[in-house]
Amino acid sequence: MSRFDRQTILPDFGIQGQEKLSGAKVLVVGAGGLGCPALLHIAAAGVGTIGIADGDTISESNLNRQTLYGQADVGKPKAQTAASVLQQKYPDVAFRIIPQFLTPENALEVISEYDLVLDGTDNFGTRYMINDACFLLGKPLIMGAIYQYEGQLAVFNYGEDPINYRDVYPHPPSSNEIPNCSETGVLGVLPGLIGTLQATEAIKLLSGVGTVLSNKILFYNLKTTSFFEIKAEANPEGRKKIPVSKEAFKAANYEINCGVAESISWEKAFDWTRNLKNSVLIDIRELNEEPGVENSEIEKIPMSVLVKDQTQIETFENILLFCKSGARSQKMAEELKIKFPEKKIFSVEGGILHPSSPLKKENHGA
Amino acid sequence: MLAEKLEASEFQFPYYQNTKELLDRLKAKYPQLESQNFSLAVNQQIVQENTALNGNEEIALLPPFSGG
Repeated sequence: MSRFDRQTILPDFGIQGQEKLSGAKVLVVGAGGLGCPALLHIAAAGVGTIGIADGDTISESNLNRQTLYGQADVGKPKAQTAASVLQQKYPDVAFRIIPQFLTPENALEVISEYDLVLDGTDNFGTRYMINDACFLLGKPLIMGAIYQYEGQLAVFNYGEDPINYRDVYPHPPSSNEIPNCSETGVLGVLPGLIGTLQATEAIKLLSGVGTVLSNKILFYNLKTTSFFEIKAEANPEGRKKIPVSKEAFKAANYEINCGVAESISWEKAFDWTRNLKNSVLIDIRELNEEPGVENSEIEKIPMSVLVKDQTQIETFENILLFCKSGARSQKMAEELKIKFPEKKIFSVEGGILHPSSPLKKENHGA
Repeated sequence: MLAEKLEASEFQFPYYQNTKELLDRLKAKYPQLESQNFSLAVNQQIVQENTALNGNEEIALLPPFSGG
């Protein structure tokens, strides 16, 4: 009797499949929402050697989805805690703890020890770094990612004419395009599902059972219970962005800093426009948007123009942007801040709809 | 995340000759798309270049996710 009886009696899996799993070395990067369920299932299935890389500690807000941890683990390091929980359950698995975040300096060395990598990280910088490292090393990579109620799954560097993340998304988004720079909400069951799918593809790839999801990306929408697959192929533009050598990889910068733009009140915005030299107050709404504003102190440069052409603002030192609710002007300010780090760029808080807005017209409602 | 910006997850739009025209029109209608990174799929296949359309295709705008 072995703990694997119920899978070794499966016709395609058998003793052979089990032997392949127990001989395999799998690295899970990120022991969080995706990593916890993925680790649990590859360990339960009997993957022989499992590396866990995470430099983070457990916080209480992790507990809705990071299911290897409980209330008593808050404050403890993730990699060690995950390994100790799983070691107790499955003494036959060899766990290797990498209690740090992967970096361009250590990633190639760590990854080269394994047959397969699961990406369960939570930021674009690390995702692109792991992708490029696995591409350079020719390691299969199982990518899982989530946003609010949606998830993505893909298997890279595996099968005929394999694809990688840069074939789908050639370059990382700029910081202003990243909603996850601030924390977003997530139902714990979503990474539970996507992480379990990552473990499923890992077990299939290693044991040879079934057809691995290669050359495709699977999308899942929790709200509509819908799955759909998108096919992808090599993208030369994306591949050009992968460092050409291991040396170039180690020297590459994968950090993406979140854009920072401060907001300002209407009162201050008008005060600055009137009294500070080189200041400009800009309505970035599209020209046909209601309510119309007729005010000689306000410039009108729609966002659709401003994203492409900044010549009109180049001479100003203090740039104050507003829109209807403050959301677009905040984004635009962050984008401009990246292009003009030396300028003072502000978004007027709450926009035209803000209670203290002098431009609000009752007739046009909210 | 694109659905939030467009305030709908699915919609029909008129016939455009190719994906470039479609994206230009979409961005004109939804300027928020300018500051969004996404890939475009035509009939469940990611397209990298401007692609001709016949009007019956299923088009998907696919943003990257980073959460874990």
